[in-house]
Amino acid sequence: MSEDRTFALPRDTREALKEIGNADILIGIPSYNNASTIGHVVKAVKIGHAKYYPGKRAVLINSDGGSSDGTRDTAMAAFNEDIYGTSLVKKPQEPLRGITTRYMGIPGKGSAFKAVFEAARLLEVKACAVFDSDLRSITPEWVQLLLAPILEKGYEYVCPFYRRYKYDGTITNSIVYPLTRALYGRRVRQPIGGDFGFSGRLVHRYLEKNVWNTDVARFGIDIWMTTTAMVEGFKICQSFMGAKIHDVKDPGTDLGPMFKQVVGTIFLLAKENESRWKEVVGSRPTAIFGFQAEVSPLPIHVNIPRMISKFKDGFEHNRAYYEQILSNDCMSKLAEVWEMCTDKIDFPMVLWVKIIYNYAVSYQKEVDKIHLLNSLVPLYFGFVASFCKETETLDDYRAEEVIEELCEIYEDNKPYLLKMWAEKGCED
Amino acid sequence: MEDKKKILAIDDEEDIRFILKEELTDEGYEVFTLGNPTKALDTIESFKPDLVLLDIKMPQMSGIELLGKIRDKYYDLPVILLTAYSSFKKDTASLACDQYVVKSGDLTELKKRIERIFKVKI
Repeated sequence: MSEDRTFALPRDTREALKEIGNADILIGIPSYNNASTIGHVVKAVKIGHAKYYPGKRAVLINSDGGSSDGTRDTAMAAFNEDIYGTSLVKKPQEPLRGITTRYMGIPGKGSAFKAVFEAARLLEVKACAVFDSDLRSITPEWVQLLLAPILEKGYEYVCPFYRRYKYDGTITNSIVYPLTRALYGRRVRQPIGGDFGFSGRLVHRYLEKNVWNTDVARFGIDIWMTTTAMVEGFKICQSFMGAKIHDVKDPGTDLGPMFKQVVGTIFLLAKENESRWKEVVGSRPTAIFGFQAEVSPLPIHVNIPRMISKFKDGFEHNRAYYEQILSNDCMSKLAEVWEMCTDKIDFPMVLWVKIIYNYAVSYQKEVDKIHLLNSLVPLYFGFVASFCKETETLDDYRAEEVIEELCEIYEDNKPYLLKMWAEKGCED
Repeated sequence: MEDKKKILAIDDEEDIRFILKEELTDEGYEVFTLGNPTKALDTIESFKPDLVLLDIKMPQMSGIELLGKIRDKYYDLPVILLTAYSSFKKDTASLACDQYVVKSGDLTELKKRIERIFKVKI
């Protein structure tokens, strides 16, 4: 696919960056209506630069999607505040430069990132880090944790490793992490963690790809970045960041668009990278850095009855469609789960994994991909409700063991995926 | 005939080393045991194992610290952590291991984990 020649950065921002010239480091903060939290993120980055990279030429860019709540003004106000003295940090020899811009293109996180990539390319930076603007637990150390592996250890892509509450990150835990691990054989625990570090070389590679009219321009960006780094052989590591405290959402309410964009992107990438995963068996760990601190993430309340109700209603509504896309074996087991479901649900992990593999295969042939992904959402609610019930009395570490078990089931059933992939004519 | 897979087992307890050596040799592996973890890197260099079994609690050096040293130098060498307690997982550094197995007189689970590692193809 040829490179997309359109810009996400407006002309005036490009001119401003050209005036700055070159830089060693770029920090990107994508935003959309995050006025209540972005100030803290900007200040943490500012202190992080002063503390860890005072001699490096660094630029902070806020890439905004047209916020109406004053996000950009808040970001710049925080940037301009003199906080070095009160933070007990010396002013850096090389002052941090700050820019806020409104990106162009499809509204979404991926377009915001594209603007950051373009800025990184213009500035010819060695390393770049991006931080979500809804972070409440970011500290100045995070700047070092995402940049040091690149600047000092030769890594090219750094994923965050957070301690998260057992019900946080349900899309990651039920699909994204185990499926990516089973496909490509790399254990990257938070492949869509939201905050990443990457090299200037990888930025160039990202910008060579014309994906900015797909879901990559939206929530698909994180998994696309991680998968691209993984399959193209860029050296990857993880940094332990502590606990992630951000504006979390109940998985039973408004994760719909994110779910569809992330999962759709994984399925799309599976086709694109077919030759990279078919021979892979099992998985290997990925290097991890960072100081080990005993941290406890904040508990999240989940509404299990609502998820069960969405599963039951969704199953009835989509039953005929499921019969078309699921194998007979899966369909009959799923119907059993639905029939047995009361205020409790027992959704077997093997069934869930096979359903995901059925969907990965069907996605390649289905014309109406939106309908396909929409139909997976109720099943996801059913599985997550079952996971929440199963882990109700477990602490986060024990719940992690359940996720590890799920990962191994994904790996062990990969031959099933390969068989269906071939039978349904998905092969090149 | 395929060469025997080589396993280096590091544990400060002599009877554990004995059991590991006996049982894993019976499974067809070439096993070398080591009681002093400070000699691990030199032994890896000379023995060239395909897999390391690593006890976590050892007096001279913790298994997790040694895991970090192994990862620095031999990143692709698979490591299984052997532990009596699951609390070690609170140390994120332990995530750099390929597998972990709770220690037991019955090595069935360990043997399964070893087989699993030798099937990995990336």
